[in-house]
Amino acid sequence: MPIFIVDGHQVEFKPGQTIIEASRNAGISIPHFCWHPKLSISGNCRICLVEVEKMPKLVIACSTYASEGMVVHTKSEKTIDARNAVMEFILINHPLDCPICDEAGECKLQEYAYSHGKGESRFEEIKNRKEKRVQLGPHIKFDGERCISCSRCIRFSDEIAHANQLTFRNRGDKVTVTTFPGELFDNPYTLNTVDICPVGALTNNDFRFKSRVWEMSSTDSICIGCSRGCNTEMWVRNNEILRLTPRKNDEVNSAWMCDNGRLNTFKFVNAENRIDGTYLRFNGFLKKAELSSAINFTAKKIKEFKSNEIAFIGSAYATCEDNFVLAKFAKSLGVQNIDFPKHIALGDCDDILIMEDKTPNSFGAELVGVKPINNGNSFESIITNIESGKIKALYIIDEDIASISDKYEKNLTKLDLLVVHSSNENKTTALADVVFPSSTYAEKNGTFVNFNGRIQRIKPAVTTEEMDRALDGMNMSRWDKFGTKFDRWMQGRRVDAKSSWNILSMLSLHLNGKMKYDMAEEVFADIASSIEEFKGLDYDMVGSKGINLKIKESIKVK
Amino acid sequence: MERIVLPDIPNLNQIDVYLTNGGFESFKKALSQSPDDIIDQVKKSGLRGRGGAAFSAGLKWSFMPKTTDKPKYLCINGDESEPGSFKDRQVFEDNPFQLIEGAIITCYAIGAKVAYLYIRGEYHKWIKLMQKAIEVAYDRGFLGESMKKTFGNDFSCDLYIHKGAGAYICGEESSLMNSIEGYRGYPRVKPPFPAQKGLWGCPTTINNVETITNVPKIISNGWEWYSKIGAQKHPGTLLYGISGHVNKPGVYELPTGILLTDLIFNTASGIPNNKKVKCVIPGGSSMPPLRGDQLEGIRMDAESLKEAGSAIGIGGVMVMDEDTNLLKVLIRITHFYHHESCGQCTPCREGTGWMEKTLHRILEGNGTSKDLDLLISVAENIEGNTVCALGDAAAWPVKFMIQRFRDEFEQYVKNEVTIPVPNKVHSMRNTSAPLANLHK
Ligand SMILES: Cc1cc2nc3c(=O)[nH]c(=O)nc-3n(C[C@H](O)[C@H](O)[C@H](O)COP(=O)(O)O)c2cc1C
Ligand code: SF4
Ligand code: SF4
Ligand code: SF4
Ligand code: FES
Repeated sequence: MPIFIVDGHQVEFKPGQTIIEASRNAGISIPHFCWHPKLSISGNCRICLVEVEKMPKLVIACSTYASEGMVVHTKSEKTIDARNAVMEFILINHPLDCPICDEAGECKLQEYAYSHGKGESRFEEIKNRKEKRVQLGPHIKFDGERCISCSRCIRFSDEIAHANQLTFRNRGDKVTVTTFPGELFDNPYTLNTVDICPVGALTNNDFRFKSRVWEMSSTDSICIGCSRGCNTEMWVRNNEILRLTPRKNDEVNSAWMCDNGRLNTFKFVNAENRIDGTYLRFNGFLKKAELSSAINFTAKKIKEFKSNEIAFIGSAYATCEDNFVLAKFAKSLGVQNIDFPKHIALGDCDDILIMEDKTPNSFGAELVGVKPINNGNSFESIITNIESGKIKALYIIDEDIASISDKYEKNLTKLDLLVVHSSNENKTTALADVVFPSSTYAEKNGTFVNFNGRIQRIKPAVTTEEMDRALDGMNMSRWDKFGTKFDRWMQGRRVDAKSSWNILSMLSLHLNGKMKYDMAEEVFADIASSIEEFKGLDYDMVGSKGINLKIKESIKVK
Repeated sequence: MERIVLPDIPNLNQIDVYLTNGGFESFKKALSQSPDDIIDQVKKSGLRGRGGAAFSAGLKWSFMPKTTDKPKYLCINGDESEPGSFKDRQVFEDNPFQLIEGAIITCYAIGAKVAYLYIRGEYHKWIKLMQKAIEVAYDRGFLGESMKKTFGNDFSCDLYIHKGAGAYICGEESSLMNSIEGYRGYPRVKPPFPAQKGLWGCPTTINNVETITNVPKIISNGWEWYSKIGAQKHPGTLLYGISGHVNKPGVYELPTGILLTDLIFNTASGIPNNKKVKCVIPGGSSMPPLRGDQLEGIRMDAESLKEAGSAIGIGGVMVMDEDTNLLKVLIRITHFYHHESCGQCTPCREGTGWMEKTLHRILEGNGTSKDLDLLISVAENIEGNTVCALGDAAAWPVKFMIQRFRDEFEQYVKNEVTIPVPNKVHSMRNTSAPLANLHK
């Protein structure tokens, strides 16, 4: 590969790479505001000016191609002077309202002001005023004074979301971001602009003023909004999820996620209606019970039915581990009626990220065995057989069957035994004889397999009673780490819930002693040793960005 | 001396008068030669661009790729918005057909089938005149498909007027192209240059109106004839637009390389009431100003003016007499560039406003000597660091006016002033004075 010199280091580059890209690959970071690896080059902020030998003027590293033998100085006096000058220019009209700005703590401008600013300003005039708190669309507020006119949001909207809704208006230092006349900034991906805005000019209505960033911990997770399985970070303070942001993964979601996934996949974790502890029906009412007595009760009850009178319902919202243990449990009882419902929204998809399958793990649930065994009934016929009275006991994990349709709800009332694992109260738990509290995807270890056969990990970001944040290696915020008086983690609510695989394993141990797992890894090891597509895998290999399973063409998702 | 761009022929803007004076003969002559020959002749003639940078026209044309599957374009720049420039307008008014003939010769030379003539929006009257002339040219078979029949050749091209919408920045070649494409008038980051990737991503040449209007005469009279007119390294004539404190302001076509003093005192008949000259801006408001007491011997061509510390620009000579308040002049100029900055890149967007605000503060009597240094430093921080040359255009007047007239500017400032702290957060950070009370 050809080589050029950056600050005395020999740096390899691919022809066609700019100075900034090639340097970045070599671990040399050149300051930038407007440049973004996933967007076109606009070259407007000028913070990336660098000195290149034999060139008459400084050049911008984001648009200048590296060439063989080129000698670049990113720390020379000339470069630093220009960088300081640009910083000074950006800051003269900036409101400097970091103390009330959501971006503070993850702000590029703030970061560079520390590392490249002069620390003082020669500007003694009155700052320009611009529009503040402009609602650009349903989710985003814009602060014109904080905006540094880098055009990232405009380019994102046009180039990535394919929705040309944003533009600059006015000229010179009156330039401001706006929507085109009659347009709203309402495409399905708007909130990504909040992430890529290098300052706090764009804020997420849902998160605005909720927390300083350093008060939150962030944990790698996977979005459960559809079968894409966008990689995310889950931001938690006081055991409450405050926001989700996308995590870069070029195999899955590039650096983006959709607004629906970002806004609507975590609130149920924080919700008031969480199932907190185990419930048994007494005299027609669900009453809180000890987990052990619920397990005793359930084990005893299940034995009263013939295996063809029992059905199990898994879930594409639950992990591979949960579904695997469910399938194994069913098999140990000789039950062949096992399946899970699909949640397909026909037509609700695009060629960017959004998929029609609104669950994160259909592929995984099927692979680990949640499908009718031999002549067992499929989901639809399980429901019909309940209606006709052939199936008398139903065991459901993490699905709200009664809410799918009125007919389903009516059918469930005909059962002699309904056992449900659920994280939240819903129409199905209202009909159940036993309700086990299952932890959500934010509270457990596990794996999902996305539409493309890529297996990806989730990790606990929120503690439940069974978790210990120190022992379980959970991430902590900057404050928590130091054990400061601000560490209020223990003050947050801790729900008494367990992973479905864990509940099932306890039940199985009690019933027939066929299964015993203490950790999600153990379940996964069992999956890896018994299911072809998972052969040889462990959590470390899946890693933070997942890995593609070896899927036989014949079973690739339709 | 013979005038090239604006010949002294009455009613030359009538097609029949133009034809009886050899109209479209140059194009016929051009057709008998290869495009490369034409480019070569223009190169050898020494014709340099009249739009500001005085770049060799023939050389620019030679950058156009010879083999490309994309269409090629010519853009003719008649945005003419620089304060002190009002010369292209004269071409529209008095010699539109020579401009049209220059356009088709250039199209032939560079292989373009379409040319756009970009005229500033405020020139309503001249846009109408030009549109009329273009329609006449189409009617008579000098443009469009019917050219083929008229000239008995396979070549034809179209010429369209694009009307600007009132932004100076659209005179900058790359924002001109964006503007034609229907986008905001934002300059593009270069490279790629227009000859590689111009209008709609296709190879494009951009020349000033006056540049193009010179072309027919170079072809008809030969490059040697042209190269001997005026200054050797910058031959031909210029349309000097003289304004300000002179007795006879106006547009004069004269050879390059004439004495600046001749231009002011003979051509424009000197200064009203025989006042002294304090300052001359020789090439349009963005060029570095010259001191009135240092004009002796300065010649009006690109090389000589460069040596004298300025530039030929578009040849708009602005003369200021001894009574002129240069602070007010500088404020007016700076206001212009502040107002016209497109706002795309940081140094120009932020710096132009900063300079104007500081100059206003000085005018209000609240400036110090330190502010003059600050202004120079801000100008230097803009210069060379921007996307387009408007940054330099805004920086140079400030930097050079203050440097060259420091004596006068010192009179506008005091040594000590108490600035009412308008920006508390900032001022808190840069003084050793007691902290401003933020709660006041
Ligand atoms: C801010 C700015 C404004 C400009 N305005 C004009 C203009 O009004 N007319 C013009 O011919 N060139 C203008 N130019 C120069 C053009 O970019 C370009 O160099 C010129 O049209 C090339 O023509 P020439 O080679 O024939 O001079 C401007 C340049 C800048 C940076
Ligand atoms: S955007 Fe950054 S620098 Fe600006 S106020 Fe917010 S945190 Fe401060
Ligand atoms: S809102 Fe943010 S992303 Fe958009 S132009 Fe302004 S600073 Fe850039
Ligand atoms: S220098 Fe000024 S006019 Fe040119 S691109 Fe930058 S902001 Fe726009
Ligand atoms: S990062 Fe290069 S100009 Fe903005």
